[in-house]
Amino acid sequence: MAATIERIPSTDISGDVYRRGRTHIQKAVTYILLTAAGLMFAFPLFWTVSSSLQTWQELRSYEPHLFPSIPQWANYAQVFQSVPFARWMGNSFLITAITIPGVIITGSLTAYSFARFNYIGKEFWFVLMLGTMMIPTQVTLIPQYVLFFNLKLINTYVPLTIGSWLGGGAFMIFLLRQFIMSIPRDLDEAALMDGASPIRILWGVLLPLMKPALTTVAILQFLGDWNEFFGPFIYLSKVELFTAAVGLRFFQNIPLESRDPRDHLLMAAAAIMTIPVITLFAAAQRYFIQGVVLSGLKV
Amino acid sequence: MATLASRLKFPGMSERLTTTKQRRENFYGYLFLTPWLLGFFGLFIGPGLGSLYFSLTKYDVLSPPEWIGLDNYIKMFTDDPLFYTSLGRTFYYAGLGVPLGVIGSMFLAILLNAKLRGLAMYRTLFFMPSLVPIVASVVLWKWLLHADFGIINQWLIDMGWSDPPGWFGDRRWAIPSLIMMGLWQGLGGTRMIIFLAGLQGIPESLYEAASIDGATAFHKLRHVTIPLLTPTIFFNMVLGVIGGLQVFTAAFVATEGGSGFATTFYSLHLYRHAFDYWNMGYASSLAWFFAFVIVSMTIWQLRLSRRWVFYYGS
Repeated sequence: MAATIERIPSTDISGDVYRRGRTHIQKAVTYILLTAAGLMFAFPLFWTVSSSLQTWQELRSYEPHLFPSIPQWANYAQVFQSVPFARWMGNSFLITAITIPGVIITGSLTAYSFARFNYIGKEFWFVLMLGTMMIPTQVTLIPQYVLFFNLKLINTYVPLTIGSWLGGGAFMIFLLRQFIMSIPRDLDEAALMDGASPIRILWGVLLPLMKPALTTVAILQFLGDWNEFFGPFIYLSKVELFTAAVGLRFFQNIPLESRDPRDHLLMAAAAIMTIPVITLFAAAQRYFIQGVVLSGLKV
Repeated sequence: MATLASRLKFPGMSERLTTTKQRRENFYGYLFLTPWLLGFFGLFIGPGLGSLYFSLTKYDVLSPPEWIGLDNYIKMFTDDPLFYTSLGRTFYYAGLGVPLGVIGSMFLAILLNAKLRGLAMYRTLFFMPSLVPIVASVVLWKWLLHADFGIINQWLIDMGWSDPPGWFGDRRWAIPSLIMMGLWQGLGGTRMIIFLAGLQGIPESLYEAASIDGATAFHKLRHVTIPLLTPTIFFNMVLGVIGGLQVFTAAFVATEGGSGFATTFYSLHLYRHAFDYWNMGYASSLAWFFAFVIVSMTIWQLRLSRRWVFYYGS
């Protein structure tokens, strides 16, 4: 292999001691680096929470308080009083409640088609599907907007959810296809022998086995919708229809009755909006990582 | 069984395709593909061709498109100074941010791949920022990097930098601020997990062989780990560049393209023409040129990859 010989391996005791000492140093260095990186990643999160519990006077005192002198839990209540943040969160949840079944049903159908049938043109469609990942969304954006505008679907959730009911996007389909391909075909064929129809095989045989993949897909879809800014921003102009992401930006920019700085409230809103994602992560950590494993990315 | 004809030809013309078995495969294959095909034509090919047509017209949505040939493209190259500056800024952002992000994620993954105790906790910690929704992250970073009251500037002043940068509000620092925020969010996210998967695919025997040869940790990194990770680096670079060039939300929410035009990236320039000035025709031509740039960059990276990407066992 490419490893260059740096020194001849020694068999005597002093060599072993030397080497053991070296691994100790390596370990220490690794831990130091990891801890430094960990602090850098963690601090902004800590600061969001800490700022959200301070008064604005405290935050703007030129004397940073790492911790609030008295935690201002009322800041959280004030977010909900200043803007309809609960409503916006509800809207975001509603969107995910529409898209998740969509991507599970139509994504599985498409993946099933690509994984289990040999039809004319399959490769052609598959390559085209993967190719769509490369094309920037701006290329289709304007005619899509014009289309939804002419169909009077601005200020509805149709433009934001329809894609999930039409396959759900190349990445999700690819991920599900990879998973179906890892299920032994014997199972399908046994069911086929018993006279099961293809849709019955998908429903009765494959889908139950696909639970890990479907959970991953549902989580990815949730994260994507929860995070999505641009679509809701251009398609929704009524404040009561906003999603949490669009609402948070709105809260950042609008004039309120009180002209006091609102950094502490914005931090509280940012924390509120992050809570569902963190909760989901805590509950289903392994599925967040499974997306990578499932797509077969040993690369 | 897959007939050879169906694998290799499109449209296939082999007589074998007329067998009942093949007919069944075609029927069910296309039946289950239908939802995706509808979306592909209705939301991708149709609108794609639509914007190609719009790009040759003057169009404001309210009145019908007016054919002007290549005028939009000519205007883009000869009469739109923001076209060049926004493209330049976009390349500055992606050109600095993507390599830093990919290399950073790789080193974090290498650290996490050490056989030490307590690493799961670190992995979770590194992953957390990527869970924060991007708009929330922008709001947070604007506060961290607030010119007067941000905690980072207060520290910098304490450390003796009497005149710290204005970050998002400062022309020179606006893009670096966005890059910093992007690194915080991205380094420990999915990209790092992909690198971890790549690292776990490296055969232990290679490290053992290197150890027998007396290789130090640094040599193993240099001559085993990194070469065997080049396919993963390449994959992440390609995805990173495609995503990085499309940067929109962070810049839009943080600064709306300011300060001055310091963060008016290409996608913001396009957005303004489309949704502020209702120049749908011109915005479409910008979009098509953008697609051309992104596809070219991807192909260029694929070509270049032959010189540096090493596939073990091939």
